[in-house]
Amino acid sequence: MGASAEILFGGLFQGSLYAMMAVGLALVWTTIGVFNFSHGVFMMLGAYLAWQFLDIGLPLPVVLPLAVVAMAAIGWLLQASVVRPLIGRPNIVLVVVITTLAAASLIENGVLELWGPRSKQIPPLLEGNTTIGGVGVSLHQIAIIVITPIILAALWLFLNRTRLGLALRAVAQNEDASLLVGLNVTALYGLAFAIAAALAALAGIFLGGYRFMSPVMGADPLLKALIVVVFGGISSISGPIFAAYLIGFFEAASNYYFGLYWTPALLFAVLILTLMVRPEGMFVRSSRSLA
Amino acid sequence: MTRPIGTPGRASWKEEAVGMVLGLVVLALLPFLFTDTYSRHVLIMVFIYAVVASNWDLSLGYGGVFNFGHLALFGIGVYAYGLLTKLAGLDPWLALVASGIVATAAAILVTIPILRLKGIYIILVTFGFAQLVMQVILSQSDYTGGTQGMVRIPGLYWFDHNMVRDGKFAYFFLALGLLAASTLFLRVIVRSRIGAGIVALRDNEEYAIARGISLVRQRMITLAASAFFTGMAGAFYAAYQRNASIDVFGMSLATIILSMVLLGGTSTIYGAIIASFVLTVFAELMADFGAWRPIITALLIIVVMLAYPTGLAGLIRAGWAATAGRLRRAAPAARPARTG
Repeated sequence: MGASAEILFGGLFQGSLYAMMAVGLALVWTTIGVFNFSHGVFMMLGAYLAWQFLDIGLPLPVVLPLAVVAMAAIGWLLQASVVRPLIGRPNIVLVVVITTLAAASLIENGVLELWGPRSKQIPPLLEGNTTIGGVGVSLHQIAIIVITPIILAALWLFLNRTRLGLALRAVAQNEDASLLVGLNVTALYGLAFAIAAALAALAGIFLGGYRFMSPVMGADPLLKALIVVVFGGISSISGPIFAAYLIGFFEAASNYYFGLYWTPALLFAVLILTLMVRPEGMFVRSSRSLA
Repeated sequence: MTRPIGTPGRASWKEEAVGMVLGLVVLALLPFLFTDTYSRHVLIMVFIYAVVASNWDLSLGYGGVFNFGHLALFGIGVYAYGLLTKLAGLDPWLALVASGIVATAAAILVTIPILRLKGIYIILVTFGFAQLVMQVILSQSDYTGGTQGMVRIPGLYWFDHNMVRDGKFAYFFLALGLLAASTLFLRVIVRSRIGAGIVALRDNEEYAIARGISLVRQRMITLAASAFFTGMAGAFYAAYQRNASIDVFGMSLATIILSMVLLGGTSTIYGAIIASFVLTVFAELMADFGAWRPIITALLIIVVMLAYPTGLAGLIRAGWAATAGRLRRAAPAARPARTG
């Protein structure tokens, strides 16, 4: 009972964080066709902004939306400065990799300069602990496990049921046709980045209430989100969500049975094998192209 | 006798050979100009980075294969040399070559999963490969030292010459020799039929395959060829620094080397070498800025990528064309227009 509860719980918690990160990556990829390597830094910056707002005395219920909206704005700005000018270049995928990597280094070192290297922590969403199935867990983690599916469902509804969300998906599917029917494609690019940054910020605030924060805290979640999107298929939103939880469970089980040391290596071996068998991802029926 | 404008590698063999020898002579004179150890150290690092970056240009620029595990090949060279000399007791020079071969074998191994993939998926798998290698090295800490790294790795030797007390004179020439060999190798490849096949696959895969170019074989050749000198550079780095650290797998080194490739301008080989020089010297000049150094470097990379998409090589080429154009206009009678 203890083992399975631990794996189930750990998987749900990690899976929730990975899902929040991976969805943002996938959203930017499907809409703009670029890979955003500053996504991990978005997560870190969101957590630091929240810490800063809390530090000047604002209450958590105010800080949470404030930090998320601020990060959305920063995401938009980043898109406008290092991604949008490159659209239309033949080697855009590669150049955006380097500009977002450089932007990530810029933000990371900026945060280090501004807030210093000392670890910080945000108060948890809910104080206190409880025991479920013989495993001690904090209410903060339970809150994350409950909130994440609600947010992801809201995102799904937005993308499938609202005009704006449908416009975003239209751009993802056919950019030229979207332009023809009068959609503001550049604004939608910005929107995709803003939503991705907001989700990353939320994940960062969640993580900051659980672990100590540091300027490099986004690196590992970004890496995991990369695995998740590869595993789940990058050209959809639901694929990465399923994959996030699957990877979360895999990691929790591997941690339990093989230990913390071997888990990353196992994870990457699984990733490479997956791509050899199904390059388009596990949860994608078929894809138009893999380029 | 028209030459395609802006196509790299279209200068005649003789012109290029003369240019290479001239460049080599200029570089070989540098240690007599800079006699202090620090300047020579910076130049040695420039040469090592230049080898890694220019070999990356072969797979990334010419091949269009986004191999993000390139730095892992460098890291494999570092650790292969360390393990071979320290644990197996191999002669340093043999280990240097063996490290290149190990890196080549690793590159062939990583080619297998990416044969069916394109674009972003290659980035992800090769990225995963790099992480996998790093995790394996970390977990085998009994041999590799794990996060502590390896220390007191045997250095290279040159007959009875004292490598330590010569102000890095010998290491400078060994590094230069490595760069010269690597550059010659790369330029010969990209100018050969193999190079043409690599470029053809990048530019129009379906057509190239239809004309009988084997994607599998060509991609293996591309990655294997880009790996050998990268692994040797890693081994040389380990021999020069006398230690190996897991940092070579880090994102920051990969970002710097990748920006050398892109800043220099892809598909030129020389561009990456020039950019290695510019970026390394630039970073050293800013040593006083401390924490601001990575911020300024990142800003520089972004600005150059936005302003000059073809990199420094494109900038130089445009400047050259403008100068040449002005000269040509100045003397129109001297050069009658050719037809055909």
